[in-house]
Amino acid sequence: MKGAQFLVQALEREGVEVIFGYPGGAIMPVYDALIDSKIRHILVRHEQAAALAADGYARASGKVGVCMATSGPGATNLVTGIANAYMDSVPVVAITGQVATNLMGTDAFQEVDIFGITLPVVKHSFLVRTAAELPEIVREAFRIARSGRPGPVLIDLPKDIANTIAGYEFGTNEKNEATPAPSPESISHALDLLRKSQRPVAYVGGGVGMANALAELKTFIETSGIPFVATLKGLGSLSTKHELALGMMGMHGRKAANHAVQECDLLLCIGARFDDRATGRLNGFAPHAKVIHLDVDAAEIGKLRHAEAPVAGNLCDSLKALTCQLDIEPWRRKCLALKESTEWDYAAPGSEVYAPDFLRRLSERAGENCIVACDVGQHQMWVAQHFHFTNPAQHLTSGGLGTMGFGLPAAIGAQFAFPDATVINVSGDGSIMMNLQEFATLRRYDLPVKIVLFDNSALGMVRQWQELFHDRRYSEVDLSDNPDFALVAQSMGLTSFRVDRREDVDAAIVQLLAARGPVLAHVIIHQEANVWPIVGPGKSNSEMMDEVTL
Amino acid sequence: MNTLKLRLRVKHSEGALVRVLSVTRRRRFDLLQVLANATLDGAFLDVQMTVQAERAGNTLLSQLAKLEDVSNVELLAPKEAEGEAQVAKLGA
Repeated sequence: MKGAQFLVQALEREGVEVIFGYPGGAIMPVYDALIDSKIRHILVRHEQAAALAADGYARASGKVGVCMATSGPGATNLVTGIANAYMDSVPVVAITGQVATNLMGTDAFQEVDIFGITLPVVKHSFLVRTAAELPEIVREAFRIARSGRPGPVLIDLPKDIANTIAGYEFGTNEKNEATPAPSPESISHALDLLRKSQRPVAYVGGGVGMANALAELKTFIETSGIPFVATLKGLGSLSTKHELALGMMGMHGRKAANHAVQECDLLLCIGARFDDRATGRLNGFAPHAKVIHLDVDAAEIGKLRHAEAPVAGNLCDSLKALTCQLDIEPWRRKCLALKESTEWDYAAPGSEVYAPDFLRRLSERAGENCIVACDVGQHQMWVAQHFHFTNPAQHLTSGGLGTMGFGLPAAIGAQFAFPDATVINVSGDGSIMMNLQEFATLRRYDLPVKIVLFDNSALGMVRQWQELFHDRRYSEVDLSDNPDFALVAQSMGLTSFRVDRREDVDAAIVQLLAARGPVLAHVIIHQEANVWPIVGPGKSNSEMMDEVTL
Repeated sequence: MNTLKLRLRVKHSEGALVRVLSVTRRRRFDLLQVLANATLDGAFLDVQMTVQAERAGNTLLSQLAKLEDVSNVELLAPKEAEGEAQVAKLGA
């Protein structure tokens, strides 16, 4: 059997059902082996989309996403997607073809040191030296990708190894190692702080969903009565409509969330990492709080904020062990009153489409099981603010890397994970152009992804920053020469329509959700629409600006 | 600025040492000295590093500890580090 066949068999043994990729010279042996495999290969139109689709597939399904490309430019095109998975701790295995071993290091055609290039953005990587080690490498790659804090793993496969005939007996797949439980001492100390606290807040991050600790979080929050805030990636870990949910924290967070964190005397950080977009100016963040930090990755604890009670270990065990009743009724009432007084206001002047209200209405109509894949920019923040989620796997968003162009490929990945689900890509006129070619992938596989494209003829978030923090000195943010996106979509086989009046929004949403195949709603919004509130650069989360304060 | 000395045992696999040095650099620790020797069986590298940073040594230690190739990493106590420096000096 050839090395490439070993590889494909090993992938099958890992339960891989879908690979997102793009063929080329050095990876051809693997594509040949795929013909005889039950694994479904999805041909994207750019390798970056393969990596991002694998990422979206993994986020939505909880399985390891797999992408594949050839050597050289194929491999380098994967890099943004790999980095995206690394920053958001998403389990992805990326397979790259490599030139033959005798050519490696000679600057051969389409040779690039992808192993070296990706070192800072992978959890681990392998360069395959012999065909016989391939099954073991694949097994290790999947184990590493999904264990502990998940992340991407690269397998770089030289073409001659892929073509080498070798013998190998597949062993039994070992079970994944269990994630270590927290130490009793750390739990005891954390419990002590928790019981002494008068004003605790839980700060919920993406780690909760990754650890499958949603039930444990719910029990912990409802038993203790602690109000909670969520990071961008933590949204939906407990329903965003939960009574104790104060909303997203951070730069574009909800006022109730940021104020509660700033006032709390104990911050219970659960699977989050004190990211600068969440904390604002770090030395002004939660200034009165002691910190209990729960994380599976011990390296995150104390990295940016000292934790009085570090609890390293799996979140399910940690949350179970910390579940207790607390007497914090006055604080709880204060937080809920704050939440009530800072509800979103959806009234907006004019007759143009108001994106927050569009998203609120879309969320209501799409139901609780839809999956939303965002791009990056203003629309991403509006989704985080105004869409409701009951599970973090519903909200696919590029949090750490902030990759414009993430949304459409991620939606494609999610649709392959759940063919019958309502999958919505919310994008902007800047982001959509980053992976526009994937309209062709939607058409090829007739994927019923629903695209909401907010078009303000500008790079909205950069424009907003230039308006607010650069004295309105606008630099390279004008996109008024955009193509007619509805026509572009039609030419690539999508149904499309334009929405530019507020009174048409409800009908447009109905049309969007009722479409049977891929569909694009081209939604025109005001060029100067901003995301509110906002914490300015270098400011603490206490200093939120809103439209009124301008 | 803290000067720290670390001792690591690293699997002698593709790119392992580069990975260690890359993490060290990316986490803003300046490398002052590095010494790496393969173990007799060739399976591991024993690495000693001296680094300088304003950040606490534990932050680097925990980042290195989670690398797949690193089987052991420890921060040498100042006394131990001093002793090893003297041994190195005598050896020189």
